[in-house]
Amino acid sequence: MIQEEKIIALNNAAIGYKGKSNSTNVVKSGISVYALKGELVAVIGGNGVGKSTLLRTIAGFQPPFGGDVLIRGEHVDAYREKELALIMSFVSTEIIRVPNLSVFDLVSLGRYPYTNWFGKLLDEDRHIVEEAIKSVGLQGYENRMVNYISDGERQKAMIARTLAQDTNVIVLDEPTAFLDLSNKYEIVHILHELASEKGKTILFSTHDLTTAIAESDRMWLMLDNSVEQGAPEDLILNGNFEFLFHNDHLFFDPEKGDFRIRKQTRRKAVVSGSGIALDWTIKAVERNGYQVIDLADANSVEVLLIIDVAYPVWTVKHKELTTKFNSLLSLCRFIKDLGS
Amino acid sequence: MAEVFVNKNNHMSRGFRVLLLLSLLVPLFFLADLLVGSYYISVPDILKAIFRSENSDAQVTLIINQFRIPKALTAILAGAALSVAGLQMQTVFRNPLAGPYILGVSSGASLGVALLVLGTGGLLGGSIGSAVGSWGIVAAAWLGSGAILLVIVMISARIKDIMTILILGILISSAISAVVNILQYFSNESMLKSFVVWTMGSLGSVTNVQLWVLFPSVLIGIVVAFLSSKFLDAFLLGENYARSMGMNIRFARTMVFLSTCILAGSITAFCGPIGFIGIAVPHIARMVLQTARHLLLVPGSILIGALMMLVSDIISQLPGSEHTLPVNSVTALMGIPIVIWIIIRNQKMGAI
Repeated sequence: MIQEEKIIALNNAAIGYKGKSNSTNVVKSGISVYALKGELVAVIGGNGVGKSTLLRTIAGFQPPFGGDVLIRGEHVDAYREKELALIMSFVSTEIIRVPNLSVFDLVSLGRYPYTNWFGKLLDEDRHIVEEAIKSVGLQGYENRMVNYISDGERQKAMIARTLAQDTNVIVLDEPTAFLDLSNKYEIVHILHELASEKGKTILFSTHDLTTAIAESDRMWLMLDNSVEQGAPEDLILNGNFEFLFHNDHLFFDPEKGDFRIRKQTRRKAVVSGSGIALDWTIKAVERNGYQVIDLADANSVEVLLIIDVAYPVWTVKHKELTTKFNSLLSLCRFIKDLGS
Repeated sequence: MAEVFVNKNNHMSRGFRVLLLLSLLVPLFFLADLLVGSYYISVPDILKAIFRSENSDAQVTLIINQFRIPKALTAILAGAALSVAGLQMQTVFRNPLAGPYILGVSSGASLGVALLVLGTGGLLGGSIGSAVGSWGIVAAAWLGSGAILLVIVMISARIKDIMTILILGILISSAISAVVNILQYFSNESMLKSFVVWTMGSLGSVTNVQLWVLFPSVLIGIVVAFLSSKFLDAFLLGENYARSMGMNIRFARTMVFLSTCILAGSITAFCGPIGFIGIAVPHIARMVLQTARHLLLVPGSILIGALMMLVSDIISQLPGSEHTLPVNSVTALMGIPIVIWIIIRNQKMGAI
């Protein structure tokens, strides 16, 4: 196998921040992870685990407190600002509000490392800026003011700015934090396409597991004592997600690829039927505090409910009583307070 | 230089047209400012005096050349300098309510002057009007405003809320006034007299000699601001973004603050504190130019600031009456409604 170049590589790195009177608070140490060319890398971890600190260290805003943080084989703090700006661009979680700044002017700020002292755009720069705006789907927005577009559009403009900066590496700190679901998917999808089509290495932190699992090539999972990496599916299969949060009520469902609340329940139900109607019925019954068990196990324990799904009719047997429902809402209202 | 402004983009050429219009208005208002005063002089007489024609009246020439022209030129310099200082502070602190007066940079300048005049009163007492004394006063003002600017930098590194910074700025100004009062209390009569003369400074008190100190100082400040326009554009997104785009933060900040101190300090040194021009004009410039690019906003603030100061001076003469108003009060009454508008708009819009 050919040894691929590690665009970003951390070897036994320690990260942290400077506290009062120059004391150093190490947030995490012994981090050894990397990212290759053309990869979309999601950084996952709970609040306060050091995602932002990690990204800020990689972006060169603060020095590592030990170990190596290498960008294309060089220590990140060995680069001068100008050199680093040609390799790596950055998007923060903060919402940018600047009066009278047009989308075109915002994106053209990405040409900063290339333009002359006064920032004059040449025809070539102008062309690159227009292309960048096009590749995030913002054509027609060039003269719109960034204060008067939606959060999703503004975030796309910020990403276009990194494209205008024309760097191999893009680092984004929670780029989808303020966005609605459709914008979350769209932004992460754009990032995925940029990584795979333009061969960029894109690193982003997020709390949104579903989109990250669906789109990222590699994940850095920030746990308490270590940072694990792998394809999202690897991390699901080897059970590392279990350790993401310390919360006894929360468990990772490897089939669904998401966390769920563990409910204390003694009430048991048997649900039969087929198709998605069955799946959603099980979800609804579980939400109302029942454990759904297989029919085969039903003989050994006391079963409170037997539900048969024949969409759009639900037949519920409770003790000797059989009731029919034509919506899950009415079914839920019925089963909620049974046996408690 | 002109090619910098002309672009294929539509609103850039709009900006250029607005700048052109403004630069035609400034000489017009300059002339209007020469017209008003307690003694009526007609336009032809003014022109004769300016061009020192043979048959001009000696007394008229004296009034025009020794009083009205220096005052109008000072108005232009003061308006331009305070506005550019305010623009730079608003951008670097990312605070729409920043300005040299409101955040205490002007009072810092007066503290510098107070320390110089009251501290060395015997030496400099009589020489305020001379060129050497003028440079001393300007330098003291630069140092004073620089010190306060550093304090604000330290505060805004810890506190992000713009209203809190504003209140702290007002407190700093009050504290400095108190210190200056205490200094006055402990100084002897002759020192006090020369300091009080300085505090009564206004546009009209700037002599031709002092103008030769003020003009190059403001020119240097404005040139540095022009050279910083790309830095200022990057500062709009905040320091992290600016650094990630390859800007040397320390160098850029030094350039911008040097320019701010020179501009705000020099004007305060000779005209006393003039409020609300520095905070209001940059907003007017953004509004009429419809841009955030400093290559347009710097000249825009210069021209609008000059215009606003000329208008304030004309109003303060109360044309048609023998009374004059302090120019401070006029700029405050013109600027404060704009500041109120910014605060109300901010309540709706969130940050800057």
